[in-house]
Amino acid sequence: MKKLRVLLVDDEIMIREGFKRLFDWEAHDCAVVSEAADGMEALAQIDTLRPDIVIMDINIPIMNGLKVIQLSRIKHPGTAFVIVSGYDDFSYCREALRLQITDYILKPVNYEEFGACIDNLKISLFERRVAAAAPEKQEERTISGITKFLQAHLAEEISLSVLAEQFHLNPQYISQLFKSEIGVNFLAYLTNIRMEKAKKLLLSTSLSITEIAQQCGYGDYRVFTKVFKKTEGSTPSQYRRDFLEDTGAAAR
Amino acid sequence: MLRMEIALFLVLAFIACIYFSAGRKNTPLHKTFSLLLLTALVHLALDSVTVYTVHHLEAVPGVLNDAVHRLFLGSMVLVIYLFYQYIAILVEEETGKPRRLDRPAGIFLAVAELGNFLLPISYTVTPDGNYSSGPYMLVPYGAVAFYLLLCAGLLAVNRRQIDKKKKSVIGIALTIEFVVCILQGLKHTWLISGMGITLMTLSFYLTLENPDILRAELTEQKMSMLYLKSQVNPHFLYNTLDTIRIQAQLNGDKTVADLLMRLVDFFRLSVKVDRQMVALDDELELLEAYMDLMCSRYPDLRCVYDIDPDLGGMQVPNFILQPIVENSLLHGLKNKGYRGEVRISAQAASGQRMEILVCDTGSGFAEGKKAAIDQMLLNFSKQPAKLEGSSIGILNVQKRIKLLCDREYGLSYTENPAGGVTAHLLLPMKEDVQ
Repeated sequence: MKKLRVLLVDDEIMIREGFKRLFDWEAHDCAVVSEAADGMEALAQIDTLRPDIVIMDINIPIMNGLKVIQLSRIKHPGTAFVIVSGYDDFSYCREALRLQITDYILKPVNYEEFGACIDNLKISLFERRVAAAAPEKQEERTISGITKFLQAHLAEEISLSVLAEQFHLNPQYISQLFKSEIGVNFLAYLTNIRMEKAKKLLLSTSLSITEIAQQCGYGDYRVFTKVFKKTEGSTPSQYRRDFLEDTGAAAR
Repeated sequence: MLRMEIALFLVLAFIACIYFSAGRKNTPLHKTFSLLLLTALVHLALDSVTVYTVHHLEAVPGVLNDAVHRLFLGSMVLVIYLFYQYIAILVEEETGKPRRLDRPAGIFLAVAELGNFLLPISYTVTPDGNYSSGPYMLVPYGAVAFYLLLCAGLLAVNRRQIDKKKKSVIGIALTIEFVVCILQGLKHTWLISGMGITLMTLSFYLTLENPDILRAELTEQKMSMLYLKSQVNPHFLYNTLDTIRIQAQLNGDKTVADLLMRLVDFFRLSVKVDRQMVALDDELELLEAYMDLMCSRYPDLRCVYDIDPDLGGMQVPNFILQPIVENSLLHGLKNKGYRGEVRISAQAASGQRMEILVCDTGSGFAEGKKAAIDQMLLNFSKQPAKLEGSSIGILNVQKRIKLLCDREYGLSYTENPAGGVTAHLLLPMKEDVQ
């Protein structure tokens, strides 16, 4: 997998420096190619550099981050936008989601946890590639077989050895496959799709947290809550309530 | 007639008692009012004496009668002068303009007092009653006219800058004194000057110098100060802290960076919640940020959580756990040098209720303290609104639980057998958003 090219947009130099130097881009197969301090600069940089990932602050001079995304979206549909904002406000979040951003993280940024965000981003890029490719070609590829199998067996105990047995492959090889095809390790991928399923269930069903945890392959809901909190920044019940409250407010 | 004078004296004496027993700041306004109260009391006492002597002209020696009358009217001029002073200071405080009429007012006072003691005095005897008369009577009428005119002038010139309430008080007081003087001038035997003085003093006392009103105003001022203090833009605060955090981490100081991260978390969480009721998870998140900070400040402090995760979504009043834990730290563990443990546990209780326990290994209650706290929490609604003090936090928690949940829920304390205390928060188990 080729290195992902990253553009940092924030009007505060310290925030950009922090991102550049405190997060291990190398380990995540990424490279920061440029920086921008305002909306116009960001727009120009996106056009000329065509980065894979744009880390974007909302509250920046001249043109706000959401506007930049809106304008760049059409020209560069393949670019992933990650919003980093101090505005702990769901209205921004809602607008950002409408622009189909890849992720929304809040300042202060915990650089250790930022890795999970990059992993999620890679997974969604992978899924976009899969969706874009011709279906008959997909069938032949091992990785798509494995991801399909994972989706179907999320509630069960899955490990590399289970996959190895199922697909008659070496566990080491499967691990390598994840790294090369998607760019993340197996466990990060599994956690990601489990959390995606959990979010879907939290918002679309009224199942209890314990039941959702079970359906997503967590026998112990305490572990589930902990993992959910770490990746989503809120506990499952908070997540569900925030959504309900927000849609309730929008309906009013 | 003597009975009225005595009654007026008693009323004013009662007011003076209340006024002087309430501690207050030593502003020029209050000083003037104190002086006014005392002079008015002396004046009313002399009033009673003169009413007696003027009706017993044969029994009382003429010299003595003259003396008390001169003293009586002398004190009256002084009282009127102090009224003027009081109003002048009030106007000065309201408008910010310095008093310019002090000198003429002072000179007039000296002249009036001089006239009072030098001008000849005589007594008129009528079937309706006796009264003092003669040229010396020019003094009180002149003084009242002079000072009332000064006050009315002050009021008229500065009418726009003066607070409506104060304006009406001054106006009413002046009208009362004016009407009383006119009546006294028409009916000499009524002897009602003391009533005018008392009513004027009373109107000022009730509206401007009443201790309760003053206290309420003070509380209001303090509240708005607190409100202003909390208005520092929170985004500015935690954005700046975040910048400092990143700088620290860039400099290689991970410990400082992590501490700042938790501090930012704490601020962010505490400004975020503007709802009355929040999920228990939200409360615990705020508490965790707080305890992480406290535990790193005091390395021997430990915090243990034992929360039933199914209760995470339950709605509880906002900001109830942190004040309780803070109380445990400040009044329990602090006395042990912050060496010990706080255990926070939440479990379901019978009948759709849950109980949150905050158990510390601190010093426990001091002698008699437990009873005092129990009493305070039991009679929470009768407690005066306090703005500070050690029990404000837990009292506030109790009030909000009772208000937002129901009377059956609330906060109570027990003593641990092994030392320290446990706070019990009994709360309803309800999950609905509304």
